[in-house]
Amino acid sequence: MVVIGGGPSGLAASVKLEEKGYDVTILESERELGGILMQCIHDGFGTKLFNEAFSGPEFACKFIDRVRDLDVEYFTNTFVKSVKVGSSLKEVVALNRQGVLKLSCRAIVFATGCRERTPFEIKVGGTRPAGVYTAGMVQRLVNVYGVLPGKKVLIVGGGDVGMIVARHLLLEGVEEVTIVFPEAWFAGLARNVQQCVLDFGIPFKPRTVVKEIVGKERVDGAVLVNVDEQWKPIEGTEVFHPCDTIIFSVGLIPNSSQLEEMGAEIDPRTRGPVVNEYFETSLKGVFAVGNLVTVFDYVDDAVETAFLAAEGVEKYLQGEERREKPTPLSPGKYLRLMVPHRVEWADGRDVVAFFRSSVEKENCWIVAKDGSGGEIFRTLKRYVRPTLLERLEIHRDLVDKAGRVVVDAE
Amino acid sequence: MPSNPRVLKNVERALNRYKGYNISFEVRDGIVYLYGRVKSYDEWVDVGLRVGKVKGVEGVVNKIVWEGFPWDKVRDREVRRRRVYEENVNRVIGRYDVVVIGGGVTGTAIARELTKFQVTVALVEKAPDVAVGATKANNGMIHAGVEPPRNTLKRKLNVKGCLMYERWAEELGFSFKRIGSLWLITPRTLASFKKFIPEPFYKVVLKYLLPYAIVLKGRLNSVKGLRVVRGRKIFEMEPNAVKDALAAVYVPWTAIVDPYEVAIALAENALENGAVIYTNAEVVGFIKEGDRIKGVVTSRGTLLCRYVVNAAGVYADEIAEMAGSPEYTIHPRKGVILLFHKSTGPLVKHCLAEIILPMHPRTKGGGINPTVHGNVMWGPTATETEDKEDTSVDKEDIEILLNKYSTILESFPVEKLIRYFAGVRAATFTEDFVIRPAKWVSNLLHVAGIQSPGLASAPAIAEYAVERLREMGLELRERPDFNPRRKPLRTIRDAGLEEIDQLVKVDSRWGNVVCGCEMVTELEVVEAIRRGAKTLDAIKRRTRAGMGECQGSRCILRLAEILSRELGVTFSELLKEEGELFDGFVRGESP
Repeated sequence: MVVIGGGPSGLAASVKLEEKGYDVTILESERELGGILMQCIHDGFGTKLFNEAFSGPEFACKFIDRVRDLDVEYFTNTFVKSVKVGSSLKEVVALNRQGVLKLSCRAIVFATGCRERTPFEIKVGGTRPAGVYTAGMVQRLVNVYGVLPGKKVLIVGGGDVGMIVARHLLLEGVEEVTIVFPEAWFAGLARNVQQCVLDFGIPFKPRTVVKEIVGKERVDGAVLVNVDEQWKPIEGTEVFHPCDTIIFSVGLIPNSSQLEEMGAEIDPRTRGPVVNEYFETSLKGVFAVGNLVTVFDYVDDAVETAFLAAEGVEKYLQGEERREKPTPLSPGKYLRLMVPHRVEWADGRDVVAFFRSSVEKENCWIVAKDGSGGEIFRTLKRYVRPTLLERLEIHRDLVDKAGRVVVDAE
Repeated sequence: MPSNPRVLKNVERALNRYKGYNISFEVRDGIVYLYGRVKSYDEWVDVGLRVGKVKGVEGVVNKIVWEGFPWDKVRDREVRRRRVYEENVNRVIGRYDVVVIGGGVTGTAIARELTKFQVTVALVEKAPDVAVGATKANNGMIHAGVEPPRNTLKRKLNVKGCLMYERWAEELGFSFKRIGSLWLITPRTLASFKKFIPEPFYKVVLKYLLPYAIVLKGRLNSVKGLRVVRGRKIFEMEPNAVKDALAAVYVPWTAIVDPYEVAIALAENALENGAVIYTNAEVVGFIKEGDRIKGVVTSRGTLLCRYVVNAAGVYADEIAEMAGSPEYTIHPRKGVILLFHKSTGPLVKHCLAEIILPMHPRTKGGGINPTVHGNVMWGPTATETEDKEDTSVDKEDIEILLNKYSTILESFPVEKLIRYFAGVRAATFTEDFVIRPAKWVSNLLHVAGIQSPGLASAPAIAEYAVERLREMGLELRERPDFNPRRKPLRTIRDAGLEEIDQLVKVDSRWGNVVCGCEMVTELEVVEAIRRGAKTLDAIKRRTRAGMGECQGSRCILRLAEILSRELGVTFSELLKEEGELFDGFVRGESP
């Protein structure tokens, strides 16, 4: 078994598989296990899984310790060059300071996480001087290297990462932090709005985006512009905001290019691979877990997908029966995205799905319908909004009866 | 020399449109000096171009000011230059036969060409690295020479330079692919003339007349081998070409390179052959003796010299003026280029353009081309800009490009856009290369106005420039020990597994991949630094680290770590290109 990626999801999958008696090798590109959590020194991790709020490294250590206890083989500083999928055997070619590693295995779990969306992907205008960064990179710069990006900082994006980095920079000694975002209010968790922004009195400008980055050698500032509800810039509202650093926290994108190259089907909504109820991709025996599938709000949920994939690996290796035709699961009109994409195995546990709504609504009914529009089941969610990834369990019996399942907000 | 009365008359006529303005001019030895005031920058460009077109005009120095002229900036620049001049004029740091000003592809090519002879050569560049001006923001296309007007120097040097690239690539070890270009003729090609052409003939003109007119234009320009392609043939050559393409002209000589790799290779080879390159050395003035330059004063000290080559790109006009031979004004023309992810590479086989007539008079219109690294580029645009360093990109530029070129290909995943950037072309008002001895300084050679197709012409420009230096009196005896070869930076990107394994066994840094998107190892980064890279962007240009889909967000810190270790400086002292990357340590602690 090869697990690619030693972040929380990869670690969780490895631990579960090793516990089941499989021989697991973890390949990690960074110099230590733990993934993105190692730079997340704020707390709040593990509230669902452990009922406790750990810091990122603490949470990661829960699994790293377990990996050590179980003596799971792992390679850090290791780059996966290529993956070949044969009918039963798969071959992973990796590279590290010791040389080229060729690993043959029967199943692969991809847990390569996500990357940050760049300012280019949101088509920000202006120049590209020194001082333009992404939030995760800055988090690492500050927490791992002990270096500050600049003195007067503008943060673009009202999500969790942006807020956490804003507070952090202020505590670590930058002189000025301002947050701008295109929505009417912050997109992240309410607790972060309170604890990171409001409690520290960090100034923020809703319905505002960066139109242009200004500066030749280093950032001199940004031209900010107000936007309407469709995020369309309102002409004439441009103002110049002087600063020496601009940090973009404008979304995360699954690292799925390797899977895409291998021919795995990719969902244009999530930009991650299409998976079945045990998080197996369209390539048999190749699983994908965690933020690679879709970006999770809680590491706890990401870890759950790893546990499910571990069960799926077992089913795959034991050659359990698949359905003649998989049952597609798809998001309806009011859902932005949903995983998994289909139910493929004949038997198994109830289907765990995650979705993001495209609307904001209190007391919202989530309804699942079959192919002909008949209602299969419904459940009430207290509050749905685009920025919250919701978890949903669907009874397998109900899926069995329907030819396809469409889940939607009502 | 007395001014040609016909030139005077024609300049006067060219200025007719600005009768109500207070514009005056004088002509000295074929150079027109314009004075006065216009309303806008656009008018300033327009006046210059009108005069530049007049037959017999060898150069236009446009001293006209426009409303909102940046007097403060000009004054600040003068004051700063004077200060830096005073600080450095008495500090002689070297003595050379030839000093080349400007480290773009033109300057580095000339410097390298000179090292073939028994002369001492120095190249001065104001930035911390070579290839950071127009050279780095070029789309890397080596044009065949069909487009430039027949009687221009750029036509002559383009046609010649294009065919010299095989040898350059082989000697200098840079990536080079002669992929050819395909110019599509579609129902949109003559859309603006459609009303003059009766419907039944429209397609006939497009399919049977126009392509041959282009082939003929090529032949008149001495570009042979152009071919007309029609029907299925088009799609066999370019499967993804737009389906309504009626015909196409195939230009077999068009090639692609990585423009900064070419300049870096030239610089490295020049260094190896004894040239000295001064980076961070901005020219602020000259020491003159009569009509000769005795020394070039830079921000790093003074270089005494016998000859000076002005290859300063967008600043060539200011250098010429400082030297005492103002013969042209540069009107910067910005070009924006879009860069797409490597996965789009297989969709484009040739350099593609859709012919739309009338052609934009000042650009060949740009198009879609693959890069030697497998990416795809769309662009460039062409817009006049006041600021010589205006490399900003408007959101509108992006939309314009996405829109303009969307009719070349049947389908293209435009969401795979990973970067956009702008470069500034050093255009003169005569819109031709200016490669000639200065009129009023006897040992200064102008190599100015090198706009498109400057990259394609570079090998020929270098030879031509050195010939002019010889005519100016520089003795050129060939050096028997000249080594034309430069070893490219080794990479394991396309190496076999066994080869990689052996490399790692010899040096474990080959096994440390620092940029996953482009598969760049620590050893390549260290080697790039050893060869002179001092900044993050310099490493990027040499190794491609940070050029993938994440645009460096995953590798900047690893690169910064290696750079700080190798240069022995702290993170806070590291530079991106010319600006500081980071600023200080957490809570004021030092490491």
